[in-house]
Amino acid sequence: MKLTYRLAPLAALIATPLPAVAATINAVMYKNPQCSCCESYASYLEHNGFKVEVKPVNNLSQISSDAGVPADLEGCHTLMVDGYVIDGLVPVEIVKKLLTERPAITGITLAGMPTGAPGMGGEKDGTWTIYAFTKDGKAPTVYATE
Amino acid sequence: MNTDFSFAVSRRGFLAAAAGAAVSASLGPARAFAGDERQIKVAPGQARLASASSPATAVWAYNGTVPGPTLRLRQRQPVRITVENGLDEDTTVHWHGIRLPNAMDGVPGLTQKPIKPGARFVYEFTPPDAGTFWFHPHANSLVQLGRGLAGALIIEEAEPVALDRDLLWLLQDWRLSSDDQIAGGFGSAMDASMSGRVGNLVTINGMAPGDQNVSAGERVRLRLANASLARMMALRFEGHRPVVVAIDGQPCEPHEPEDGRLVLAPAMRIDIVLDMQGDPGSRHAVIDDFYDGLAYTLTTFAYDKAPPLRAHPLDAPVGLPRNPLPTPDLASAMRQEIVVQGGMMGGGKLAGVGGMMGMGMPGMSGGAAWAINGMSMTGDGHVGMAPQFMLKRGASCHLTMRNETAWWHPMHIHGFSMLVLSRNGAPVSHRQWQDTVLLAPKDVIECAFVADNPGDWMLHCHVADHQMAGLMTVFRVT
Repeated sequence: MKLTYRLAPLAALIATPLPAVAATINAVMYKNPQCSCCESYASYLEHNGFKVEVKPVNNLSQISSDAGVPADLEGCHTLMVDGYVIDGLVPVEIVKKLLTERPAITGITLAGMPTGAPGMGGEKDGTWTIYAFTKDGKAPTVYATE
Repeated sequence: MNTDFSFAVSRRGFLAAAAGAAVSASLGPARAFAGDERQIKVAPGQARLASASSPATAVWAYNGTVPGPTLRLRQRQPVRITVENGLDEDTTVHWHGIRLPNAMDGVPGLTQKPIKPGARFVYEFTPPDAGTFWFHPHANSLVQLGRGLAGALIIEEAEPVALDRDLLWLLQDWRLSSDDQIAGGFGSAMDASMSGRVGNLVTINGMAPGDQNVSAGERVRLRLANASLARMMALRFEGHRPVVVAIDGQPCEPHEPEDGRLVLAPAMRIDIVLDMQGDPGSRHAVIDDFYDGLAYTLTTFAYDKAPPLRAHPLDAPVGLPRNPLPTPDLASAMRQEIVVQGGMMGGGKLAGVGGMMGMGMPGMSGGAAWAINGMSMTGDGHVGMAPQFMLKRGASCHLTMRNETAWWHPMHIHGFSMLVLSRNGAPVSHRQWQDTVLLAPKDVIECAFVADNPGDWMLHCHVADHQMAGLMTVFRVT
């Protein structure tokens, strides 16, 4: 499955001879069928160079847990992109930083649904901490703050 | 009105004492009891859910089966049910929808002491209403119900109803991991503050459904009971016209549902009458399309090849005899309002319990994600729950339930059935009495009932995660 995500942007590059903009980055979003914020977030990503396939699922917390997201750091949806898991409403600059730096981690997460986060609306209050997690049982570490 | 209650009140002291002492031999010389006697043992067990040949799943079971045994009892006949707890944790049994004495209602802390591991409790009541009910634990509800503890409770009409077959579909929803075992992660923050722990395998009477064999021309009463933790269902019967004859056990005016779609939230029951008018040998899907983009075929009616049982559907009326429900007097009714607040996308209504917009982790570690009238009662019931409102015995109550959240909530009232008066200002017809009323996001529903049964009663959302995370309240009938 992960291999597919890695190959997808490459395939897009090859298939597009003269890209007018940067190649799109394919992503798959698993979300609760009844949550609308996630769709706003998907649309935000699409305005920032991503192509998001939205998959409504009823067992999101199971998918997120299977993807390695720590239970106490769950975001409101789970995004699979280029071999990484992005959980929650992580700002796109941080997603792109991850995809550029390519650290040896499973993914990153912004827990909960903070006000002002992409897709949420409202005014940002306070600092958001985006954690990096792995599947080897080690404690999550701070990947970025915003 | 109901003489059963006075009978029961006299028993309450006795039962409370019996529950307090580790009841084993202490019930000893049983009084002469003219009624049904049943035994239920609660214990770990095994079930093959996906098919008869699938791997066994470790479950918790009533009398070793999932779902538990269907209890068929008689209207107005006393019953005594001894529940023995073979789990390693406390349990209770709630007789969902039955109007019974408060001490028999099965809410730990509020109406009885929990049944300790190895202990027993004797439930005794006289069901006043005929219909489709069910039973389940009210202790550690999310886990105990999620591990399979549920059973149907059918109160038979005093006079049998003219039908060819009486069928029950007890629907359960399981979240299994890839090894066919019940997945962990009960009470995850996302489940708690969104739509609850919806699973990935739906069973009918304990098994992933194959075909339902039917015969052309027959008239079937199908009792639907949703015993899921959180999964809402909206059933469509392709090629058939279901007629709703009872909701939550209470007969209503027979009617076809809007768009032919039966919305069945957790804990709700709907009895339908189906005239099987398909062609011999034909097949018709039963589809659940509640969740956008996630419709699936629940099961399929497979007609046998025999010629129709009869040329035309039965002439007999499909309506059921009414139950002895007291009629609320709206003119004098006491008005109460319940406002449901919180959850994801909740618009910051819950500043005091975590501030749903901009919250960290609602619902974690037993924390609250929801509230009723600004107050979050979490868990399953405990000692010292202060009533949200009081009602004088015999008074009518006009209850407005206002859902301020972005989520669906089947609101369950213990001890009573409520006449549903209106939904978002539009009158609700067909004389619908319900113990579990589904509120869509932003819905405002008005109901009424007569507070004829004294005690402290619970009113809560039956999405188990929501209840555990604060969507619960208590009212007192004095």
